[in-house]
Amino acid sequence: MAAEKKNPMSKALVRRETIAGYAFMLPSLVFFLGFVIYPMVQCVITSFFDATMNREDIFIGLANYTELFQDTVFLGALRNTAVIVIVSVPVVCIFSLWVSSVIYDLKGAACSAFRCIFYLPVVTGSVAVTVVWKWMFNNYYGIFNYVGTSTGLLKQNINWLGDERYALGCIILILLTTSVGQPIVLYVSALNNVDQSLVEAAEVDGATKFQCFWKIKWPQIMPTTLYILVITTINSFQCFALIQLLTSGGPNHSTDTIMYYIYYNAFKLYRYGYGNAMGVVLAVIIAVLSAVQFKLAERD
Amino acid sequence: MKKRKIMAMALSCLMVLSAVGCGNGDSGSTSGSAAGTGSSAATNQSSAQAQTGGTEGAEITLWTYPIGKWGDSATVDGLIANFNAVHPEIKVTVEYLDYSNGDDQINTAIEGNQAPDIVLEGPERLVANWGAKGLMVDLADLWTDEAKAAIYESVESACKGSDGVYYEYPLCMTAHTMAINKDIFEAAGAMQYIDEANGTWTTDDFIKAVQAVYDSGQANVGAVYCNGQGGDQGTRALVNNLYGGTFTNAEHTEYTANSEENIKALQLLYDMDGINYDASIVGGDEINMFCNGTLAMAFCWNIAQEKNNLDKINFDVLPMAFPSTGDPKLCGGIWGFGIFNNGDEAKIAAAKTFIDFMANDEKQAVESVKASSYWPVKDLGNIYEGDDLMTEYSKFVPYMGDYYQVVGGWAEARTAWWNMLQQVGSGVDVKTAVEEFVATSNAAANAAQ
Repeated sequence: MAAEKKNPMSKALVRRETIAGYAFMLPSLVFFLGFVIYPMVQCVITSFFDATMNREDIFIGLANYTELFQDTVFLGALRNTAVIVIVSVPVVCIFSLWVSSVIYDLKGAACSAFRCIFYLPVVTGSVAVTVVWKWMFNNYYGIFNYVGTSTGLLKQNINWLGDERYALGCIILILLTTSVGQPIVLYVSALNNVDQSLVEAAEVDGATKFQCFWKIKWPQIMPTTLYILVITTINSFQCFALIQLLTSGGPNHSTDTIMYYIYYNAFKLYRYGYGNAMGVVLAVIIAVLSAVQFKLAERD
Repeated sequence: MKKRKIMAMALSCLMVLSAVGCGNGDSGSTSGSAAGTGSSAATNQSSAQAQTGGTEGAEITLWTYPIGKWGDSATVDGLIANFNAVHPEIKVTVEYLDYSNGDDQINTAIEGNQAPDIVLEGPERLVANWGAKGLMVDLADLWTDEAKAAIYESVESACKGSDGVYYEYPLCMTAHTMAINKDIFEAAGAMQYIDEANGTWTTDDFIKAVQAVYDSGQANVGAVYCNGQGGDQGTRALVNNLYGGTFTNAEHTEYTANSEENIKALQLLYDMDGINYDASIVGGDEINMFCNGTLAMAFCWNIAQEKNNLDKINFDVLPMAFPSTGDPKLCGGIWGFGIFNNGDEAKIAAAKTFIDFMANDEKQAVESVKASSYWPVKDLGNIYEGDDLMTEYSKFVPYMGDYYQVVGGWAEARTAWWNMLQQVGSGVDVKTAVEEFVATSNAAANAAQ
């Protein structure tokens, strides 16, 4: 009898709290629906249209997608993007893990100083970072050419950003410097959260440092690694600002990436439908890669 | 766990899709055409009518690109104060655009039915873009017989669309030149190849001069910049002038950059000592490198560059026409007013009154042109008397060549141009690269028709 009397009260309370909860969520939900879901749906729909400025969109079915896979510039951009991802993702993960494992157990100030140094390019505006790099790579008076020719390493100046043999490598180098900050901070936190009693017990049992890392720390920082893998992959796929500010996709399309080509088609040629078709393809690629990463992590 | 994984993947997709979700409203629905369709009959009222009827209490918006001091609010406020002294019944609100995102701002405004009433820009936008799309008002009533007789013929033809409708009423013009570092040329003994008084040189003399400067130890004489489209009028003019090639046909319907003359010019530049195809810089970078003495010549130059960089330059700049086998044909800039057809006749009439005052009023026209830092499109006398620099540059205005920027597919062609230069610079056969450029550009031109 007592339970029967109590139930209606708690149900009302639960209902009230649920309503209050949804009410608190509403502003961000509206924002999310309006500025994330709606553009996403529009992106998919518009990819089936010949959509441009100042005239009605024309339904063309899969024509944008057909054109996409016959477009040599797009295929080149796809290849360049793949190169950036394949090089930058492992390098960022390995380098940031190495740096973190060296600095995470340093005394407070030293660890903070290193974190600060590596995080600096992340908080510095990408335009400012890019302008400095552009100056360093300058064909005529850049510091790399100056040092190279002064020390005899280079016979003559190299047009780093204007020569298709070097341009993509330069982009990847800059991308690495701006990408390692966040993973280092995340790894330092993850390593600090590793259960030290397990490490100490293993050391007492005679485990080497490598065994301690591989058997105890690595499994515990796996979720962080997975997160870093996913965000680094996505960031690498979305490499845009560097290309836009440094090379505009050149020379000879050697640094075109999918994101830059999307921008070019959408905002230079106003081919929104075609640009959005590329966006959909890029999203599918990232989704598949993320799924693979999750699967591999699950197996580990 | 599975749900969380699905959510994580969905979020990955969201990040990409929301970044590129840049559609223009409802697909298949009517794109908001601010300007309705075509140069409507509503606009066919006389200039006199525009000045007297229907403008009472009108509020119009002027969006201006940074054409000299037309991008400076203090100057424009002064010009508008002059206008309001005569026409207090019309209120003018100004918005200042820049070339990096001005087009996006206007196109977005058109889509949202918020297009400005007046835009100050050139024929490539007013005529070839928005005019061709039927978004602009026919300005035939401003183009009176008197105006047609006064305004230079080449300017008049640039202000007309292929349909013969006037979408622009011009205010000012300039001829883009190149420039040399006279100190370096003198030290190299290369001034003998230059007609300094007229600012001209032949192609043969250009070759000799560049070689002399290069031999004097200046490894970087000039750069065919091709990192992007910024300042591309310089490289186009250089290539077209060297052996008398053209960029388009006379009717502005077809790109003709694959002519033998142009191929020969591109090959010559590739083979010359001291001239580099540089895919790491654009026109703005080239100007900086010329001003700081890194390069001995600039292909992206005009009076505004010299004025803007006076404090950086510590050598004698000599503006030059591009080297040619005959009379040089310089790329020009023509700037003037266009009116978006927003369907409000009172605003259109007020806008025409504004344009008429700024461009035709005897006293105001001089001030309006001077604000641009360029030259008038009709004979207003020597408006820069006593200004040695302007007088020096004014000798290039008669060399202005065909205004071909009104050709269809211009945006695609501009991109294809610097891509083509990059190809040539990286060793691709010139003919192959140029044929590809022309094929791409003509396809865009045909699509635009």
